[in-house]
Amino acid sequence: MIRGWTARLLGSATGLVYFFLYAPVLLLVVFSFSADRNVGRWGGFTLDWYREFGANAEVQDALRISLQVAVVSTLIATVLGTMAALALERFRFRGKKVFDALLYLPIIIPDVTMAVMMLLFFTWSLDLVDTVTGFTLRKGVGTVVVSHIAFNISFVSVVVRARLDGMDQTLEQAAADLYATRWQAFRHVTLPLILPGVLGGALLALTLSLDDVVVTQFASGPGSTTLPVFVFSLIRKGVTPLINAVSVVMLVISVLLVVLSLIAQRASSSDEPATE
Amino acid sequence: MTDTVHPLTAHERAHESAESRRGFLLALPAYLYLLVFFALPLAIVFVYSFATRNRTGGTDLSGWNLDSYGRLGDEIVTRVVMRSFGLAMVTTIVCLLLAYPFAYFVSTRRPAVRGLLLVGVMIPFWTNFLVRNYAWRVLLSNDGPVSELTQLLGLGETRILFTQTAVVLGLVYSFLPFMILPLYASLERIDGRLVEASRDLYASSWASFRRVILPLSRPGAIAGSILVFVPSFGAYVTPAILGGDKKPLLGSYIVSQFLTARNWPFGASLSAVLIVVMLSATLVYFRAGGRNL
Amino acid sequence: MSTPAVEFSGVTKRFGEVVAVDSVDLEIADGEFFALLGPSGCGKTTSLRMIAGLDLPSEGSLKIHGEEVGPLPPNKRPVNTVFQNYALFPHLTIADNVGFGLKMQKVDKAEIGRRVAEAIELVQLGGMERRKPTQLSGGQQQRVALARALVNRPRVLLLDEPLAALDLKLRQGMQNELKALQREVGITFVFVTHDQEEALSMADRIGVMGDAKLLQVGRPEEIYEQPVSRFVADFIGRSNFLPGTVAGDDAITLANGAAITGPTTGRSAGTAVDVSLRPERVRLEARGAAPADRPSIDGVVRTATFLGNAMVYSLGLDWLELEARIENRPSQARFAPGDEISVWWRDDAIAVVDGGR
Repeated sequence: MIRGWTARLLGSATGLVYFFLYAPVLLLVVFSFSADRNVGRWGGFTLDWYREFGANAEVQDALRISLQVAVVSTLIATVLGTMAALALERFRFRGKKVFDALLYLPIIIPDVTMAVMMLLFFTWSLDLVDTVTGFTLRKGVGTVVVSHIAFNISFVSVVVRARLDGMDQTLEQAAADLYATRWQAFRHVTLPLILPGVLGGALLALTLSLDDVVVTQFASGPGSTTLPVFVFSLIRKGVTPLINAVSVVMLVISVLLVVLSLIAQRASSSDEPATE
Repeated sequence: MTDTVHPLTAHERAHESAESRRGFLLALPAYLYLLVFFALPLAIVFVYSFATRNRTGGTDLSGWNLDSYGRLGDEIVTRVVMRSFGLAMVTTIVCLLLAYPFAYFVSTRRPAVRGLLLVGVMIPFWTNFLVRNYAWRVLLSNDGPVSELTQLLGLGETRILFTQTAVVLGLVYSFLPFMILPLYASLERIDGRLVEASRDLYASSWASFRRVILPLSRPGAIAGSILVFVPSFGAYVTPAILGGDKKPLLGSYIVSQFLTARNWPFGASLSAVLIVVMLSATLVYFRAGGRNL
Repeated sequence: MSTPAVEFSGVTKRFGEVVAVDSVDLEIADGEFFALLGPSGCGKTTSLRMIAGLDLPSEGSLKIHGEEVGPLPPNKRPVNTVFQNYALFPHLTIADNVGFGLKMQKVDKAEIGRRVAEAIELVQLGGMERRKPTQLSGGQQQRVALARALVNRPRVLLLDEPLAALDLKLRQGMQNELKALQREVGITFVFVTHDQEEALSMADRIGVMGDAKLLQVGRPEEIYEQPVSRFVADFIGRSNFLPGTVAGDDAITLANGAAITGPTTGRSAGTAVDVSLRPERVRLEARGAAPADRPSIDGVVRTATFLGNAMVYSLGLDWLELEARIENRPSQARFAPGDEISVWWRDDAIAVVDGGR
């Protein structure tokens, strides 16, 4: 344990880091209630910008699309990612190493390149569908969902794998010994025990989906603008107090997700054996 | 178990192949999905990088050539890459300097306090990325709070918005937790008795820090540096919000090839190079003993 | 003879190039309390896991009550296991843990309730039904594991080092309880342990394993009194080994030239053997006071250790060190380091095992 002035110095450095992490976001919340048209200046309390948020149809549409995309892509990615995690942690099969590597790639690759990949892929594949079948498909909500699933599968599987890795495998053997079939053992033992990991993975997927700007921008077409893409384009045009209000709404959504994931972790740690 | 000297018996073989089949079927949906919607797009990027841009801004996929790669040596490209590299380096160093005392302090606290302090770092990390960057746009705006503060202190107006300083600030703010977590993990693993032993052997507190703690925390520092450097190097959103348009960085330069310049083959070749660089950096990370994020 | 509860014929298990169990033949009788004893890594746990179906044999046949179970998965076998770390399901209550097997077999709810209550009563855990495993002590967790297995009325109950995780006091209590429980339920128990005292005190019969092989099977007294090899004699209790050669039927010449009598069991003359002599079978007298009609060996006391109920002496004979354990009785003479003594033993006190290092 360190003491004296070293500790005090380190302690104040720590305080500084916290200030650095929290002050900007908290100030943003404050300014979202400011009547001043200048986004960074206090001009008295107002709820005007939230009213504008409520009245703005474009923002409402974007929010709705964002939530749709996030929920659908999270559901699918969670199911696929969990299955992948189970396969990798509990089975040996041909092509496992290649699969493992493939699963890591979307985590490593920068979102700009992922965006480029999606743009080129959809351009090429929709063209192909057009020439082969005569159907003209366009980029839209569907293509955005497809691209979000592509990166979310990997994140879900990483989180679930960590949970599976920490789980005592003799529990599954005990279930088999107690007459459980493979499915019963999964349903009654493995799944309840990894559920916090699955929920954690799903919340991470929701967060990432609601965070994404570039991939969505490149994979979307007319009528599929998500809230982050919409806000991003607004910021590029010039900041307005409306953006403050929209940002705070997005902030509230992410804080809700954080709280949920902390609760999920709490619930999981109380099930863990006290001594191991 | 295929490399055994003894062949497996029928039972064992039947069991193994049934297990293998189950595992494969379980992996199959995700496997197919990633092959079609990730590996195939990745391959297409490489295909496009060998293609030619035609006069209308479209892409001619016949007639492969290396022209796009030839442009990588252009002065403007090297300048963009060097600028991005420098910015990512500065970001990494600033993160390291900020994170080290923090992580060290946290690792010396009681376990209960530690958990709380770490959750405190994770919460901003989980909040919306775009919003976090936008917050700095507000803070740094003309007549914004930072500027007012410096004026109050008699330092004059702050005009760093749309400069590289602002971009570094935004990147540090975005990726600092990536540095803190692995650093903390490696510091927390250090056996406190080692420090006591070194003190017992007449090391001053500085010497015991330099000779015991610093070397032992190096894997964490390397892992954290790579985790910060990689996304900073390819960053797009942060520079787009906080940086100016005059000095483009790699991320926005690539995007502009698709959205404004409409030179897809060149954009694809830039992406291809970026992918290769990132993969190499990640391999170094794994070599350094890092594991999952 | 009735069908054995468990029957290994030429069972071998290989993991890659490692042979974990090497052509084991073994019959465990119905209703028997059988111990598989051996040092860690000797293949005893793998043998148990093969009965459970958690590992499949590489070769040979494995029958449970006459039925070949080689390829059957664990959930299709009429056996249940008490795992070493108990493997209780942390997310289920004690009652749900105990009822797990019945639920998987789709036994109807009322029946499950009745049998679970019965099993919990059997292991004396009434009142704990609604708790979670983490809220119980180690000893209680072990009882839950027992109840969870027994409630299914298995043909054979497998126990993998069931007492290893308990502290010494609790362990001794549980030994008696397990033994009583086995008599009460009448189920065949097969348990794996590395603790020879545990095996000797609880088992009807013991199978000693070493280096993937089954070395000896027998009642505890047989194993202790007539070990078939130096390894078995050394692993079960302590023993002195006196090198010698077979001189004829039941005649052995020790390395110091002394001629003694001992069971040579058909070994031909000239075979190198070791005579195993347990420390507590060594008789100790002052020099010259040994019975004249018995071969005796002279020596000197090197160390004498007082253990309360006994004295342990380290004796220096001309050609080897011998350990002797002499119970403390009022009439018993005590010796001090440096005392000159004579050592002798009764013919039935020794066992003859294959010699050589």
